[in-house]
Amino acid sequence: MGFLTASDGRISEHVIDQGNIDKSTRLNIYKNAYETRLKEVIDTDHNVLSFYLGDELFDEMVSVFRQQHPSHNTSLRNYADQLPQFLKETLPFSEHPIISEIATFERLLMTAFDSQDATRFCQDDLHVVPTENWPELTFKFHPSVQVFYSKWNSVESWQALKSEKIPEPANRLSNCWLLWRNEERLTEFRSLNEEELSLIKLIVAGSSFSTLCEQLLQKNDEKDVPALALNYLSGWLNDGILRNI
Amino acid sequence: MHKEDHKGAKAPSVHSSKTAIPTDTPYLGFGLGLRTDHFHDVLQQKPALDWFEVVSENFMVDGGKPKYYLHAIRERYPMVMHGVSLSIGSTDPINYDYLRKLKVLANELQPEWLSDHLCWTGAHQTNSHDLLPLPYNEEALSHVVDRVSAVQDFLGRQILLENVSSYITYKESVMTEWDFLNEVAARADCHILLDINNIYVSARNHDFSCRDYLNGIAENRVRQFHLAGHSDYGDYVIDTHDHDVADPVWDLYREALKRFGLISTMIERDDNIPPLEDLLAELDVARRIANEVCNFDQPITPGNDTANHG
Repeated sequence: MGFLTASDGRISEHVIDQGNIDKSTRLNIYKNAYETRLKEVIDTDHNVLSFYLGDELFDEMVSVFRQQHPSHNTSLRNYADQLPQFLKETLPFSEHPIISEIATFERLLMTAFDSQDATRFCQDDLHVVPTENWPELTFKFHPSVQVFYSKWNSVESWQALKSEKIPEPANRLSNCWLLWRNEERLTEFRSLNEEELSLIKLIVAGSSFSTLCEQLLQKNDEKDVPALALNYLSGWLNDGILRNI
Repeated sequence: MHKEDHKGAKAPSVHSSKTAIPTDTPYLGFGLGLRTDHFHDVLQQKPALDWFEVVSENFMVDGGKPKYYLHAIRERYPMVMHGVSLSIGSTDPINYDYLRKLKVLANELQPEWLSDHLCWTGAHQTNSHDLLPLPYNEEALSHVVDRVSAVQDFLGRQILLENVSSYITYKESVMTEWDFLNEVAARADCHILLDINNIYVSARNHDFSCRDYLNGIAENRVRQFHLAGHSDYGDYVIDTHDHDVADPVWDLYREALKRFGLISTMIERDDNIPPLEDLLAELDVARRIANEVCNFDQPITPGNDTANHG
């Protein structure tokens, strides 16, 4: 392993020369395969990031990450879990925080893609709940649901590159995003406004529907709140982000 | 109808067979490795093949699209699980966390069998994600046998071990790879997955005879054949799984059928993956060769139901 991860040549003493191929060539077949395999994993998992960085910087990132982070997992699915943190802490990438943000976003998309399945809470399920029980109704999110806070235009840049367009230069842009896997098992995301985010935090904390409505009362007219609350709830049901409990 | 046929897929009837199927050998017919690129086509086209092999690690996830397709396809086809992380030869302790996940997946899928490789994949808790060869000597043999026994005890079933392609030979090796593999299988009472391409690749890289390898493997231990493509660089060959099966490997497959009889056969393609129909056509080549050698009269016309013939 030392030869693969750190070019420790001691293994050579245990390998024989055979035929036309010397042992150095033979050992390097393994080393090339190791390096290529890990690079391909990062390239696949962080396809947009690789476009954002360009070939030269991407190769540099892979090379340093591979040296600092040998794989400790049986599955390559988790090999680059530490990549966002690495990019946050390692020069020259750390000088551009948007790079780490793009990597974080891509890993959250992966999480949404293959997280646990669960039956969704849908309109029909809501209709069988007696109206008088609605105030005490609590909700749980589908396991695929993720919330991502961005401080830079990382998601906008990701979207541009995904559409094969040139992204805007990096700039500060605070935003919050909801990611999930829909009923067709496709990964989706959309931005969250401050109000919806506050409701989502309340749901995560186990608050009831009446508490959600009280939250809406803080910044809305009382007469508007029932329609507003229903509108949010309807949107969540249509998105399929609530699970049946 | 197709679904029922494949769920109940059995060995093809042997009409005037030259080589009988051993009665104690579960025989699945001709299969492919299940790859993400083909998920949709498999469900839509319900191709006429007998079984799929899945890479266990690819489905050790909680849910989502991979698991959905896996179970939907399992409803229609027999499956076997093929692992790449058992690291049976490693000096690290056996990874029971991995084995627990493997067992959970096996309980979900109810595969016909589980296989992995005669190799090591890492040490000091670091994974190479490669199939690294072992030194073939008594010390390694004893070590591997103990670990195979422990794994089989934990899983509650026999496993198949596959010969790997290799590019190096250790100074410490004192026996042939096939003698080592045989001894592991006999002492640990496990089965063998014989990769025909890997025999060819290693024979070219280490200058041994493929025929000696085949003749050296105990007939009663082999449960599955792998076929795959490789990259030939003249002085050496690399097991890349990104090409069609090469002619010398088809020749060797023919020899293997003569020695071992009709053995469940599949084509492993891991890169440069062609359309499903191309792999099905390649699988028909395997079926045709097997029919020529073993004369089991299995229809090979695309669209015919290969599992329902007798």
